[in-house]
Amino acid sequence: MTYIWNFQDVFNNWYALAIGAAGTLRLFVVCLVLGMGLGLVIALGKRSKNRPIRWLATAFVEFFRNTPVLVQILWFYYALPIIAPIEIGPFLAAILGISLNSAAYSAEIYRGGIQSIEPGQWEAARAIGMNGLQTLRRVILPQAIRRIIPALTNRGVEIFKMTTLASVVAYVELLQQGKLIASLSYNPLEVYTVIAAIFLIILYPIVRLTYALERHLARSD
Amino acid sequence: MYEWDFSPVLAEGGFLLVGFRNTLILTATALSGGLVVGLLLAFARLSHRRWLNVPAGVVIEVFRTTPPLVQLFWFYFGLPIVLSVEMTPFLAASLTFMIQSGAFFAEIFRAGIVSIERGQWEAARAIGMTYNQCMGRVILPQAVKRMFPSMMERSIELMKTTTLVATVSYADLLFQANELAQKTFRPLEVFTVVALIYFVSISFISFVASRMERRFARSGEFTP
Repeated sequence: MTYIWNFQDVFNNWYALAIGAAGTLRLFVVCLVLGMGLGLVIALGKRSKNRPIRWLATAFVEFFRNTPVLVQILWFYYALPIIAPIEIGPFLAAILGISLNSAAYSAEIYRGGIQSIEPGQWEAARAIGMNGLQTLRRVILPQAIRRIIPALTNRGVEIFKMTTLASVVAYVELLQQGKLIASLSYNPLEVYTVIAAIFLIILYPIVRLTYALERHLARSD
Repeated sequence: MYEWDFSPVLAEGGFLLVGFRNTLILTATALSGGLVVGLLLAFARLSHRRWLNVPAGVVIEVFRTTPPLVQLFWFYFGLPIVLSVEMTPFLAASLTFMIQSGAFFAEIFRAGIVSIERGQWEAARAIGMTYNQCMGRVILPQAVKRMFPSMMERSIELMKTTTLVATVSYADLLFQANELAQKTFRPLEVFTVVALIYFVSISFISFVASRMERRFARSGEFTP
């Protein structure tokens, strides 16, 4: 007896999926901005001449890279409210977990990019009288960012995929809405196939773009 | 002011230990399977036969661009319907993570193999080796050294990804932590301890990996 696929119930619930997609997008944008922004700050912290700052930045990166992001989200959701006098809902817990995790990963990308710029560039900028921050902003970062765009785009794709973990704390995003539809219409096969397809359709063009960027940069360097 | 109290957690240490053991079992199963799947996918992808390289490319891209949690739900809740078989959380997770990590391993292997200079192929051919001999004796031994850092990185990612299995009730470390937090009403202590267990074990693995990398780097490119 072969199974007959029936997507009718999934499409009838398109509105629930649309709400989920909005939730996914909202979480993604916040985590992307916070993760990549904080990542740059931490990368600079790792290069600081001040020992405590350097040490703190390193500890941050090591800790968030060496623990699973799902453990981080659950820690922020269940554990943090006990010591911090604030309400932490699913959205905030997911933001904290995913952004801090992505900040640690993107910090390493920025660091690699900055290190890849020849020391002579720093010396030249110094020689014409720029200070450290000016050199970084006008000379080093514009070149470094160009080199790490493929790696950062890749990280962005990872962040988008990571947003599904927010469903574990019942934040309303695509997968969470999928679970709801599947439990109401008893059609998990069709629902999860559609959810996977949505991610594939959104992310595949971006992945192709990264390949193209990598090839382009490899040629121009 | 909250008073930390780890004694209820430590009293149930055995409970977490069971979870840690299950995490290691799942990681080892998915990793060994993933390496095999990755090697097969890489060879298929490099093949000149279209019926091999096109499907391999599709599998690699689909599993790299969809979220692993969606894949796990698909394998656990969806696949049993098509195949009309019983699915256990362990089986679903092993399958998902084997193919998922296999897709990433395949790209690492392919990049490693492609990075070996054409001249090496030609030289091996010139002294009369077949394709398989070239691959087995000349190309792969050199490629493996270059791939080693990315392979270790991906294996560590895999170990972290196994935490997703807690969502389908396989008793891994994270699942056990959740149970224990509910039982003891001490989520802060439980999740802190569990985060530390992951941190220590993953840091240890990456430390060993970086030591091995340095040994590999010193041993030079052309020793067998």
